[in-house]
Amino acid sequence: MAKVKLATVWLEACAGCHMSFLDIDDRILGLLEKVDIMYSPVVDAKEIPKVDIGVISGALGNDEEVHLAKKMREQCDILIAWGDCAVFGGINSMRNFMPAEEALKKAYVDTVSTVNPEGIIPGEDIPQLLPKAIPVDQVVKVDVYVPGCPPDADTILWVFQELLEGRIPKVPAEMMRYD
Amino acid sequence: MKEITLTIDGKVCKGSHGDTILTVARKNDIYIPTLCYLEGLTPIGSCRMCVVEVENNPKLLTACTTPAQDGMVVHTKTETLHNYRKQVLELLFAGRNHFCMYCSQSGDCELQRLAIEHGMDHVRYPFLYSDFENDATHPEYQVDHNRCILCLRCIRVCAEKVGAHTLDLKDRGWNAKVISDLGKKLGESDTCVSCGACAQVCPTGTITIREFAYRGRRSDCDDVVESVCPLCGVGCKIKAYVRTGSIVRVEGTTTDQPDGGQLCYRGRLELPRSTERDRVHVPMIREGVYYREATWEEALSLIAENFKTAKEADKAGALVSSICTDEELSVFSALFKDSLGMRRLDTFDGDILRGFRKGFEPFRQQGVRPFTAAHNILKSDCIVNLCADPDEEAPVVASYMRVAALRNEASLINVSSGKNPFEGITDVDIRLLSPCGDPCLLDSITKVITSLRMSEEDLGKGTEALNDYRNYLEKTAALVNMSVEEVEQVILKLANAKKPIFVLGSNVSKNPAVVQAGVNLAIASRAFFEDGIGIVPLVVSSNSLGTVNTVLAEEPWLGKEDLDFLYVFSTGMIPEDEESLSAISRTKFVVVQTPYLVHPLVNMADVLLPAPAWYERSGHFCTIEGERRRLNVVVPPKGEVKGLASVIQEFASALGVELGSPKAVPCEQLFGSEKAPETAQMVELEEVSL
Repeated sequence: MAKVKLATVWLEACAGCHMSFLDIDDRILGLLEKVDIMYSPVVDAKEIPKVDIGVISGALGNDEEVHLAKKMREQCDILIAWGDCAVFGGINSMRNFMPAEEALKKAYVDTVSTVNPEGIIPGEDIPQLLPKAIPVDQVVKVDVYVPGCPPDADTILWVFQELLEGRIPKVPAEMMRYD
Repeated sequence: MKEITLTIDGKVCKGSHGDTILTVARKNDIYIPTLCYLEGLTPIGSCRMCVVEVENNPKLLTACTTPAQDGMVVHTKTETLHNYRKQVLELLFAGRNHFCMYCSQSGDCELQRLAIEHGMDHVRYPFLYSDFENDATHPEYQVDHNRCILCLRCIRVCAEKVGAHTLDLKDRGWNAKVISDLGKKLGESDTCVSCGACAQVCPTGTITIREFAYRGRRSDCDDVVESVCPLCGVGCKIKAYVRTGSIVRVEGTTTDQPDGGQLCYRGRLELPRSTERDRVHVPMIREGVYYREATWEEALSLIAENFKTAKEADKAGALVSSICTDEELSVFSALFKDSLGMRRLDTFDGDILRGFRKGFEPFRQQGVRPFTAAHNILKSDCIVNLCADPDEEAPVVASYMRVAALRNEASLINVSSGKNPFEGITDVDIRLLSPCGDPCLLDSITKVITSLRMSEEDLGKGTEALNDYRNYLEKTAALVNMSVEEVEQVILKLANAKKPIFVLGSNVSKNPAVVQAGVNLAIASRAFFEDGIGIVPLVVSSNSLGTVNTVLAEEPWLGKEDLDFLYVFSTGMIPEDEESLSAISRTKFVVVQTPYLVHPLVNMADVLLPAPAWYERSGHFCTIEGERRRLNVVVPPKGEVKGLASVIQEFASALGVELGSPKAVPCEQLFGSEKAPETAQMVELEEVSL
């Protein structure tokens, strides 16, 4: 039987969800017998290929992330949102209480630890901030939600196993966490 | 109460007429999720979590506010209800900023628990990201309005149990916000008593106690132990949360208890802090300006040696904290009183307790209990505050008084020479012209009421009694510089009250005649409760009453003459008063046994002995809640700390004295209620001086 193709992308988030994925430890070998990781922060691929399962960790905070999320949705059959940032917006939404310009000014000029005498706010050749950081499902349809900050390794593995068995999983109460 | 029968989820359930659907369901072990509901607070049905379906009723009904009716068929677990509840939760998450990953209460949060229980793996509504403030102005508590779900538990507990009514609601809809006073920040509030009841009932991370948030959530704790707060006479029941061997959080019981599950700022904050204080770990002996560590044998034999000489010269004494259990006090009494025949044994708050004891004695001899449970204030319709400052002396009693006055519409009469502690909510404020320790006014009011009653009963002496009534009225008016009409209003309030109650401050009790006059007045105004006469004595600590027949001296002796030997047991929880300290410092040889490095007391010690702290001991307290309450070991003692009883036993052995079994009768027996309080007779006031 052909292996299931998997792509994961790390958008506006810390690396926690992917770390938690690696925390499935040696069980990853068993998983890799059935799954090919085609695209991920842990493999070296430049473009998201056509896959069976796509995973997004992180919220959407700028236009590049929106582009990647749309691309991932196009390229995969089943899309998983990993972690609180992808599901709820998470810690990134802390900037949602002020306009994006103010957030940039705070980050690049106002903070005490910043040395930026000319007050330059980076803007050229880099992605533009969205007005607010938003959960993934506000832009693309999500099939499986796995909340948690990060989700437990066991939960992540369980979700893959369920998908490999041909079921669309819904994280049960005993596995679900928001922190 | 009429019994009703209804069917909930197919189960036949019994309830009483007047029960809500929720009450009947809980009585029958049927779970209905709730969020704003708390037993003991007025149900408001605001969160909509408890919605149920009732057959033949097209609407969803909130179980917490809908009265159960005979024959109702109720469903609590249908798919419609599940979806509706989940939707409510999603709306709560979308409406404010509930981000668990940076909330101190994650894991302790009822909103989070319910969302997980309902399988909320995402929110179908756009988040509003409304910018609410995080009010950090209060030094102990923090109010993060971003996390508020407007369950209004805090507002209700503050109004209904604490009686402070600091919190209320401002604006409507998405902008509705809990505010203090009329829009001040919590730290700037004039009415907040800092009791923390709001934080205890908050289901989310909105109102939090900084220290508790920092030291670990409830779910991280290893153990929860029920015990008693030792800090004032009320002896509130507490739940102490233990984490890695120290108390990280102290909470009251539940809102359905008579005390409303309250604690005051002292109990809530000082108790957990006491586990972090510097301890005396081993016996220490003073050498010049230093202390050196010693063995128990060495320390005890040095103490015994000094004690023997002092005892022979009749210059030995012992001063014991009243924050000792009945059991410990009876061992102290067995050694010092019974075995050694010492007359100099006393407690720090001896003067106050002697006043209460002497004042209560004639009534106690009649077989009635001269006081009643403090929470009976809530049943009273007329409360007289006699020179007490309950907010300082026993803050939970102050809550009872405020709730009685504000919610139960009881009259509140304040009698004091100082500041009125209930400014703004008192019906009458009687200013004393002389300091509080004078029984004349109480005696005079008693006579007015007695003569009024006689004139009403008209046993052939109606006219004479009425003349007496007028005379005493005038006399009373002269004592307080009020007009006769004003005094008459007070008298009528008292005389017409069904269940008046009198709160006696500790500073009046130093004169037993005032206590006696107070009880007389209570009898005259028919302040009778099931368990005793309507007096609430504000004693100093949770087992002050227990010292009355154990370590309390007949007459004061401390400071009368300089002694050669003094054994001092301090719990370090209530600061020692200046007079006691100065008497201790003038003693030649001082033994201080204490759990903490209490300054300046430890500096006066020649021998310093470690002692178990309040949370390392067990036994019983005799509280002014009229209950014997059990103090439990919350954290077992470490190191060379020994139990008080075994130290006393070893000290007795070092002295070569046989320690007999304790003779003192338990406190509740001493203040037993053998006869109904209605049978109590007033006693003639004698000038008893201390």
